[in-house]
Amino acid sequence: MIHVVDAANISQYRHEMEEVWRLRHKVFVEEKGWTDLAKPDGREIDQFDTPEAVHLLVMEGGKVIGYSRLLPTTRPHLLSEVFPHLCEGDLPRGPRIWEWTRQAVAPAHRARGTSRLVTVRLMAGIVEWGMAHGVTSLVTMMPLMYLLPFLDTHFRAIPLGLPTVIDGERTIAVRAEFDTRTLKRLRAMRGDATPVLATPMVSEHAA
Amino acid sequence: MSRKTLDLTLAYLRSLDRTASAHDVAALLRTVLDRYGVEHMLAGTIPDPGTPPGRQYGHALLDGMPTEWIRRYAMRGYLFRDATVRHMAFSQEPFAWTDIAARYKDDPISVRVMHEAGEFGIRAGVTIPLMTLDAKLAGASFSGRHMEVPPEDVGTLQLIATYAFAQLLLLQGTAAKAPIRLTSREREVLQWAADGKTAWEIGEILGISQKGVEHHLGTSRRKLGALNGVQAVATALRMGLIA
Repeated sequence: MIHVVDAANISQYRHEMEEVWRLRHKVFVEEKGWTDLAKPDGREIDQFDTPEAVHLLVMEGGKVIGYSRLLPTTRPHLLSEVFPHLCEGDLPRGPRIWEWTRQAVAPAHRARGTSRLVTVRLMAGIVEWGMAHGVTSLVTMMPLMYLLPFLDTHFRAIPLGLPTVIDGERTIAVRAEFDTRTLKRLRAMRGDATPVLATPMVSEHAA
Repeated sequence: MSRKTLDLTLAYLRSLDRTASAHDVAALLRTVLDRYGVEHMLAGTIPDPGTPPGRQYGHALLDGMPTEWIRRYAMRGYLFRDATVRHMAFSQEPFAWTDIAARYKDDPISVRVMHEAGEFGIRAGVTIPLMTLDAKLAGASFSGRHMEVPPEDVGTLQLIATYAFAQLLLLQGTAAKAPIRLTSREREVLQWAADGKTAWEIGEILGISQKGVEHHLGTSRRKLGALNGVQAVATALRMGLIA
């Protein structure tokens, strides 16, 4: 199940969010080598982890096995502050456009085929959350290699700039619209038409 | 410079949205890539090693190669010796064939494939490795007599190929929805054709005349909207009409 964590319920997810910061450090600093993000305490938290951020946590057996972060484009976000050079012309911003970053899957869940399943679940979670909150598109950046699988999930992605080499990888920024067709495709890929988002149950985390 | 290139890329994406077949996609790519000297192209997933020649073609989503060359390539089992295919197992980065040829010079068959391709006007090319959602290796290759892509344009070419591939997957999904019914005879004939049997051989196996086999191939070809037998087999495999 995917849990949506935001300012309203983050206090009930203290333990899980600790796992998130460590997973992010492991994936982005230790594996991808984004040393700018390194933290001595092994918790990767940046200036965008504000109360405005929405965190999606894939939970399995009480553990965080996958993660994505959504940021409102009406506030400072990665593309506006850190990577504006990936975009030519005006950056798409507005209440219906959110930024998707920090996509991560725990190493133990990455065996061929299963990482894809966690990622597909996360994407379904983003679409379900977006459709419930009047969000119609994402802005995001990804290695060019990941663009084909992304398009194959029926997000309609339009480049915001030409591919640019970042840390040795050709990277592209896109605006990606989604709707019920995207959800239908993702559900077909999961082989499961039930929602991925868990209904927050306060009692479970109150202790 | 780059603003103009982005605008051209966005215009290409709008045109791509209007394509209704692999043929349309190929025609559009030819227009867009003409400036690099692209004459031939091929896109598809890479079959697992050991896939028999009759089934290899089923992995092609777009075939813009000389027919005679594809026939020879399949018949002689060149796929798994082709340096440009072998190299994809090592690198996910786009590569120019001239840059990798030297690494495979010790394999006489690799060298022969390149040499023979040249006789069909396939002298220079670029391969763009791609990855599908189920982590299958895929790719697109563009080639010609004098093809050249300036290094600063490789990223854009990769982008163009990625979107073309996504559209081909989308079109394939749409095509799969229109039900096509083959008779059991048509299925049998295609099934044997997929295993590389000739019309005469299929006739012997099924106990019908070669003319009869050709008739069934012809009707299934029309039902599948294929231009030739190879394409009919490929389409039938893709649609799961034969296995």
